[in-house]
Amino acid sequence: MNTLTLIWMAFPFLVGFIIYLLPQLDRYLALSGAFVSAAYAVQLFVEQSPYNLRLLDHFGVSLVLDPLAGFFILTNALVTAAVIFYCWRSDKITFFYAQTLILHGSVNAAFACSDFISLYVALEVISIAVFLLIAYPRTDRSIWVGLRYLFVSNVAMLFYLVGAVLVYKAHHSFDFAGLRGAPPEAIALIFLGLLVKGGIFVSGLWLPLTHSESEAPVSALMSGIVVKAGVFPLVRCALLLEEIDPIVRIFGVGTALLGVFYAIFEQDTKRTLAFSTVSQLGFILAAPIVGGFYALTHGLVKSALFLIVGNLPSRDLKELQHQPLQTPIWIALVIASFSISGLPLLSGFGAKVLTMKNLLPWQAIAMNLAAIGTAIVYAKFIFLPHRQLGETDISKLQPGFWTAMVLLLGGLLGANIVYYEAYNLENIVKPLVTITLGWLAYFLIFQRLIVKLPRVLEQFEHLIGMMSLSLILIFWMALA
Amino acid sequence: MLEAFVLATLFCGFFGIIFKKNLVMKIISMDVMSTGVIAYYVLVAAREGLFTPIVSDVQKGAYADPVPQAVILTAIVIGFSIQALMLVGVMKLSRDNPTLESNEIEKDNTP
Repeated sequence: MNTLTLIWMAFPFLVGFIIYLLPQLDRYLALSGAFVSAAYAVQLFVEQSPYNLRLLDHFGVSLVLDPLAGFFILTNALVTAAVIFYCWRSDKITFFYAQTLILHGSVNAAFACSDFISLYVALEVISIAVFLLIAYPRTDRSIWVGLRYLFVSNVAMLFYLVGAVLVYKAHHSFDFAGLRGAPPEAIALIFLGLLVKGGIFVSGLWLPLTHSESEAPVSALMSGIVVKAGVFPLVRCALLLEEIDPIVRIFGVGTALLGVFYAIFEQDTKRTLAFSTVSQLGFILAAPIVGGFYALTHGLVKSALFLIVGNLPSRDLKELQHQPLQTPIWIALVIASFSISGLPLLSGFGAKVLTMKNLLPWQAIAMNLAAIGTAIVYAKFIFLPHRQLGETDISKLQPGFWTAMVLLLGGLLGANIVYYEAYNLENIVKPLVTITLGWLAYFLIFQRLIVKLPRVLEQFEHLIGMMSLSLILIFWMALA
Repeated sequence: MLEAFVLATLFCGFFGIIFKKNLVMKIISMDVMSTGVIAYYVLVAAREGLFTPIVSDVQKGAYADPVPQAVILTAIVIGFSIQALMLVGVMKLSRDNPTLESNEIEKDNTP
């Protein structure tokens, strides 16, 4: 198992660099990285028992691999594979595939490690790879969006580093477990870094612009897996230390409501999806113990949605009302929207039921509200007009589009086996009621309502300034 | 005392990122901030002693803790590469925005 783990960790980086020597094989090599991760994740599910690995000595790198990490690694593998299929026939050069693989490898590293410094390195490599992917088109806008992302995440990581050394000062070790007994300012600084990287609550408001202004495959990668690299350590810490658990749950509820509130009033498809990501991350954090399964279903569905929306004729929902979609695309869009709303038969249902069962009493009302909000948001997509396929339409689609869809939506169907116990009458009725309420609210109120929310908080200076406010907030929470 | 200086450096950098208008100045402010972080690691490492921990016959005295130093070396390299990347981005942007004022660039490039 030791050797297997090390090979799995090193493989994407190794292949990511030698891919330049064999540019004809770039797609196949990139795909092989995703397959290795998928096989490794399956291995983790088979073994079940957590597996610890400490490289070098007491101060060395420590890795923890358990089924929770397995869910995240599987998500990473499936999303990366889908994105590579999607780009298969496009004119992307080897550089793109190399960056995708390096991103894949560093996200894997973030899911495996359990000490603050390995996590820091993994998160910073992720920032660099994501910047290069965002700036791939080389337009002014893409460079600015990438630069803004790199700035925000690097400043957050500087705070995180100070937190990490405070933990070291208290325990002479960088392990996650050292957070227990560490001073509150250490918790505040580390959490600030992770919350910003994960795109959570007000510190995550960089996310909508970044995710919506990137190309469809890059948005899919970012919403599907990259933000989860920031969320996963929070989940891990919450499970490890019960005194951290309430802080993580409060942020989960807060971000679920904030994201869905913005998403309901948004008229741009990609921004709607990005805000929905902010809200869905809240569901992962609200019930950390079952967060893995939710992350898997959300990763699959959100990357599918971003790939679909990238192929629609317009980004404005109002315009889409007058431009019927092609029926096959519409069907894919509806399947994905149903899954994220929590309709039975798709695994989004199982994930939602499981999360709702593991909530604390004080979270229940807020999270049910967020679930209704999600149904309202996706009603906007489900009730778009559609028409039969004409002769000329077929050629317009990216050829790899359907392969990616089969992988992602098939994964959504297949993931039902994780929690098939969810299928009983009581569990099935509740999501149906939630969705009905959401759709009623959509038709009665939100379909006609046009409110433009101000975007002041998304300006660069405010993003950085907001970090100091979040820092004070988390400090108080840690002190309490 | 030294800790207060380190914190002051950190906040100088942080407020520079917010209040400086020029993108290059923002990047330099970020560098100041990361200098503060590096200094803090060195300070933590030197809590128990100042000598470099090298195995030899002569016992010199209290040794500095090598772990934070090793860790911050990694962070320095990462920070430096990120800055290089950012400066390349800024160079590309300066072709169309010669003043490099971040408000202007943001206004032009936000939908």
